[in-house]
Amino acid sequence: MLLIGALPQPITSAPLVVLVYLVLILMIAGALASVLLRSTLYAIGAFLATMVLVALLYLTIAPFLLFAVQLLVFTTISAALLIVLLRETTGIEASSIGPFSREWIIGAAVSAALLALLAVVLGATVWQVQVCCALSQSFGDTLTTTYIVGLAVLIVILAASALGCGLLLAAPTLPSPRGGGSTMSRSPSGGGSTTSRSPGGARR
Amino acid sequence: MNAGLNLVLAGSAALFAIGAFATVARRGAIVTLLGTQFMLAAGGIAFVAFARFGMGAAHATAGASMALFAGASAVAELAVGLAMAALIYRESRSFSVDADRG
Repeated sequence: MLLIGALPQPITSAPLVVLVYLVLILMIAGALASVLLRSTLYAIGAFLATMVLVALLYLTIAPFLLFAVQLLVFTTISAALLIVLLRETTGIEASSIGPFSREWIIGAAVSAALLALLAVVLGATVWQVQVCCALSQSFGDTLTTTYIVGLAVLIVILAASALGCGLLLAAPTLPSPRGGGSTMSRSPSGGGSTTSRSPGGARR
Repeated sequence: MNAGLNLVLAGSAALFAIGAFATVARRGAIVTLLGTQFMLAAGGIAFVAFARFGMGAAHATAGASMALFAGASAVAELAVGLAMAALIYRESRSFSVDADRG
């Protein structure tokens, strides 16, 4: 379909341009950290930070509803799933650092400074995303009219994934011929080892 | 200095490349799943960028709708993938997806 009129102009407001550059750079750095870090917990933390930055990018160039959904739904559900997986498998050790230790105070100060910086940028900018925010109503209308079939398919996909996830986790673990970490004891004639492997034994 | 379609698409491409690297090169099930999440997020960003800056601006909400669908599909894929990772861990006490774990 032909576009009537001129193409939309790029963002030219200096603070907003700086914010977009900053978000993109941090997003790529977070993704790289998530891939390269060897600690699973740190990798998950970097992944969640990247998802938050994707939501911030949506805030600058997309309808507000997409930002809210990305931040509150997708990121939260991903975090919950990953944390539950870690708790159920390798476990998350409780921190030995107290709530008023030096590390916590420094971390809180850095977080407050970043939040203040964001507030200053928001306050000092003619926030062009407000134009996008007006689209929220039409965005919802588009979802429930033009893309109603897609929305229905998406609901089916989400329900199927929830069902499949439950079925997978509810299935009994079969004894491994390699003597993996099943809790069942096996007879020596069964071909498997009766000793379970150490948690970090087979990791790269 | 401005921020337009090229900049956002470059960021999207970089994110997709990082996700592809994680999916192909890493052995851990969790990192592989995170890589697929990055690839899907990159696709969503590209949809939104075209809707905001490109020819798709005639239907500005279409790109956001596609990004929403991609995000929800990514969450569904992550749920099933993590359930499979939990099964792999139960079986071998490791998240490695290599066949040569024994």
